[in-house]
Amino acid sequence: MADGAKHGYALTKDIESFAGVRLAPGTLYEALSRLEAHGLIEALESQDRRRPYRLTAAGATALSSYLKAQRQVAEVGLRRLASTWALT
Amino acid sequence: MTGRSRASRLLLWYPPAWRARYGDEFAELLAAELAERPRDVRRTFDVALSGLRARLADAGLVSHPLDHAAAARAGLATLACCGALFATFGAALWSQLATGLRWAAPADHGITQALDLMSLALLTFCVVAALGLVELIRAAIATVARRRGRTLRWPAMLAVASAAVLVFGGRHFANAWPGTGGHALTAHGLVPTGAVAFCWSVTMWITSYWAHPAMLAAFPATQVAWMTLIPLAACGLMTGMAQLIRRLDRSPRALCFEIWLARVAGGGMVLFLCGALRWLSSATAVRRIDAAGLTVLVLVIAAGISAMRRAGLERRAVTGVSGTRR
Repeated sequence: MADGAKHGYALTKDIESFAGVRLAPGTLYEALSRLEAHGLIEALESQDRRRPYRLTAAGATALSSYLKAQRQVAEVGLRRLASTWALT
Repeated sequence: MTGRSRASRLLLWYPPAWRARYGDEFAELLAAELAERPRDVRRTFDVALSGLRARLADAGLVSHPLDHAAAARAGLATLACCGALFATFGAALWSQLATGLRWAAPADHGITQALDLMSLALLTFCVVAALGLVELIRAAIATVARRRGRTLRWPAMLAVASAAVLVFGGRHFANAWPGTGGHALTAHGLVPTGAVAFCWSVTMWITSYWAHPAMLAAFPATQVAWMTLIPLAACGLMTGMAQLIRRLDRSPRALCFEIWLARVAGGGMVLFLCGALRWLSSATAVRRIDAAGLTVLVLVIAAGISAMRRAGLERRAVTGVSGTRR
């Protein structure tokens, strides 16, 4: 959702394309309902029974913080691998 | 079967409140998934598991993302059901012990202590049930006065009819109580004979005779019919009361009082369990049905504590008290 609103099926396909993981429908909707309850995403008007969701401002901030923390972990890991194993 | 009808069938795993909120869009996603991958056991398993988790949340046993007030009421309703189940199995154990003491003096002082603890716990339960009922009636009157009582009609009728069956049937069949004619409970003058007989009568169906049909066939037909009717009436009473608790609007203050009552009931459950354990530790031989009864009590306590914790957290979320943890 970082690049805009998406409905359930579009989210499944998007996650599959960039992460290589296909989220099962039950798992996806459990996550959506939890994120919505925490005010991190919001539902938009339905389009032909499909309802798109988008990030809220709080959700965008939380996602940004999470990704920055992940980037930091990845950078430290890669740096240590490069110094010990000469891997880049 | 088409994708849409399969999606509709899969949706049945979820509770009505969840289906009302997410049903259409979720069915749409399922239909698209089914068109792409018609057979996928992992997907079916995932939907079933997620649906069951949503049902547990709907019953107030795990975190509920949809509505905090509804979740607090659901937690209280589940707790009331746990309390009713606990009281039923507890009363069966208690009346069995009290009936036995009519005919033989306790062989061990521990049995007397056990009966005292169990009696005190059941008395606590009765007081909590009475206070809870008064609060429920008060809330029902307020709801009816606001002309919003239509949804209460069926649960109220079911609860009243089931309670009437249990009270009148219980009093009638209490006449066949096996404690009649035994020695008085001299050491337990505070245990009323009528209460023991009534508890024995309404818990008559909790028996190992079901596993021995030939012995059961020797019972009078009316008694077997009564033994079959009790669990149905008890289920009707629990369903009616649970629906009333879930449907009645309550102020945060009333919710707070009910959660306090629930905590007292939880204390009563633990007290009763201590008494039951004391009895079993003093008994010369533990019968399989007593061990099974105790297992049911432990499971019900675990579910009750979970529901009580959830109701408390959701009530704090409704009233906006800080420091809640999920």
